[in-house]
Amino acid sequence: MRFLDLLVMSINNLRRRKLRTALTVLGVIVGTASIVVMMSLGIGMSEMQMELMESYGSMTAINVYCDTYSQPEGGQDPVYMTDEIIEQFRQMEYVDGVSPLLNVSVMMRQGQYTASYVNLVGVTEDYMEQIPVGEGRHPKMDGSEVELLFGNMVLQNFSNGKRGGSYYETGELPDVDLMGKPIFVIYDMDAYYQSMNGGTGTDGTAVKAPKKYLVPVAGIVEGGENDYNQYSWEVYTDLEALKTQLKKIFKKGVIPGQPTNKKGKPYPYFIYSNAVVYVDSIDHVKEVQTAISDMGFQASSNSEWMEQNKKQSQMTQMVLGGIGAVSLFVAAIGIANTMMMSIYERTKEIGVMKVLGCDMGNIRNMFLMESGFIGLMGGVIGLILSYSLSYLMNHLPAVTQMMMGMGGMDGSISRIPPWLAAAALVFAVVVGMVAGFFPAVKAMKLSALSAIRNE
Amino acid sequence: MEEETEKKKESPIIQVRNLYKIYRVGETKVFALNGVDFSLQRGEFCAVVGPSGSGKSTLLNMMAGLEKPSKGEIIIAGTHIERMTEKELVTFRRENVGFIFQSYNLLKTMNAVENVALPLSFRGVPKKERLELARKYLKLVGLEKQMNHMANEMSGGQQQRVGIARALVVNPRIIFADEPTGNLDSRTTKDVLNLMRRIVRKRKQTLIMVTHDNYLAGFADKQIHIVDGKILKIEEQHHEDEEEL
Ligand SMILES: Nc1ncnc2c1ncn2[C@@H]1O[C@H](COP(=O)(O)OP(=O)(O)OP(=O)(O)O)[C@@H](O)[C@H]1O
Ligand SMILES: [Mg+2]
Repeated sequence: MRFLDLLVMSINNLRRRKLRTALTVLGVIVGTASIVVMMSLGIGMSEMQMELMESYGSMTAINVYCDTYSQPEGGQDPVYMTDEIIEQFRQMEYVDGVSPLLNVSVMMRQGQYTASYVNLVGVTEDYMEQIPVGEGRHPKMDGSEVELLFGNMVLQNFSNGKRGGSYYETGELPDVDLMGKPIFVIYDMDAYYQSMNGGTGTDGTAVKAPKKYLVPVAGIVEGGENDYNQYSWEVYTDLEALKTQLKKIFKKGVIPGQPTNKKGKPYPYFIYSNAVVYVDSIDHVKEVQTAISDMGFQASSNSEWMEQNKKQSQMTQMVLGGIGAVSLFVAAIGIANTMMMSIYERTKEIGVMKVLGCDMGNIRNMFLMESGFIGLMGGVIGLILSYSLSYLMNHLPAVTQMMMGMGGMDGSISRIPPWLAAAALVFAVVVGMVAGFFPAVKAMKLSALSAIRNE
Repeated sequence: MEEETEKKKESPIIQVRNLYKIYRVGETKVFALNGVDFSLQRGEFCAVVGPSGSGKSTLLNMMAGLEKPSKGEIIIAGTHIERMTEKELVTFRRENVGFIFQSYNLLKTMNAVENVALPLSFRGVPKKERLELARKYLKLVGLEKQMNHMANEMSGGQQQRVGIARALVVNPRIIFADEPTGNLDSRTTKDVLNLMRRIVRKRKQTLIMVTHDNYLAGFADKQIHIVDGKILKIEEQHHEDEEEL
């Protein structure tokens, strides 16, 4: 028998009992939709978690921290992160790049607006190139000059020296033009405040107001004034240029933020409290991290967090999918039942077909096709329903608000990736055919004669 | 096929040897067939005659492979039917047998043309071709007006004629007919029987017809009389050109 004839016959049989077919299909629709929607929620949630994590930093970056204050007691030399150590990091296997972070707290000024305790961070190129620039460009990294890359939320730090009233009180952004007008940086904030308060230095003379430097602004980090990302609150510049600049300003003095030895004297080299190590792939993060920890530094990365999260979201997906699967299972029972009914109704017909020479395999396939078709229809309509439900969930104001309440996550909560849609379809058809298999075999084995006699 | 025409006199197309069918009803045994022997030549028109309950349908069903004999042999075109599996029997029927049911057995979901075309679809004949053939045979049995009627939109006699067309359309080697004219008036009965005989003769097909009517049995070349599962007598007669009647 030709496949097409078989197909037409199956479909005609389904059409003959429209209501019953529709009800059976409805069962599959509900089953498919509940699996897909449940899974889409699970996927949506775990993807949102991933996105949230990514906004905290790259998945392949290891943050290395060295506490400069609590160093081992006793005579040993403290383990500091120096350029030498950074170079050791760089030589490690799987490491793509390293950047120490040299943090200096500075004051910035433009016209009447002042921002104090702005965190100026000197970084290497490895780090700088990770920062997405919205306006302008990256600062030049050749060590020649300090150029600034402003975090997109730093502007909120500026307040009007005379009128007072910061962004937090007024909610208005200060009238500071980062790119257009010159920005002055005061590196020695201590001296600035001492001079303002008329304090005296160690030698008893009045402290002179520190020099302010005109620093060019290269660009601003991507994002609006309220779009937080990990670069939002810092001002970045070239590490080497910053080091040169600091040495020039503080000469042999103590650079703010740098530790001193037991006699209160600065070390002749720069000491970093933080560094970022970039690993080539997510699979090697753990290994490199352990190596760094063994060197006596605290290392952390998102990978452990993410792994834990992955396991958890897999669990969630399985539980949600399982709940959905129960209803598809019920639908499968419905299909089996419908097919059995259909066989009892058509016993005679099956017998006649066998007498007329219809191959037994063809009879079985006809029933399998019918049940598979029920599965397919249910799957397709169920999928359409799932997409609509998913759309509703992602766009209903009530749901979106609830989501914002839950830890400020945004984005779609229900996501149906193509693989899920395809898998659901295949699954629905397979379930239909499996449910229809035993009825189909039963139909195939019906005795032709007793089927005919059965009036 | 051509070579066989030479040998046909020696080797019959159907051979039934010592056939028994015993039904067990509770404690008692019912001998539906009680030792039947006969053979049929290719192209023969044979009538099985006997009173109701004499075992005619049982004999026919066993020859068509619908039922297994309790004992004995049925050899059709050299093959032992009683030894075939069900799957083989289906294939055998599809390739060799046309069957006309006592109770028509049309598929209720199909119209006349589709019913006639159904056995062709089991053989993989393309749709256009088989519908054309089906129409041709429906015309032959006088149903050109009822082509698109569903089974329950036709009279018993019309349904019976659809059943006849369905058996003839596949051009089988053997046609089994269980009371094919039971629901037709005497005029139509004559027409249909003459038609069947003509077609069967022309194509050298073997027709085995069950009937309890001695007059109808008279149309056949050979009459097998059965009573209580046993052959009473076998009559042979020759009809030349009665087609015009
Ligand atoms: N499945 C069965 N179980 C028990 N007895 C049966 C069965 N089928 C047929 N018989 C018996 O076998 C005998 C022959 O039955 P069969 O149907 O062959 O008769 P028939 O000659 O075709 O009669 P009719 O002309 O009424 O159709 C009957 O006595 C019947 O009771
Ligand atoms: Mg009978």
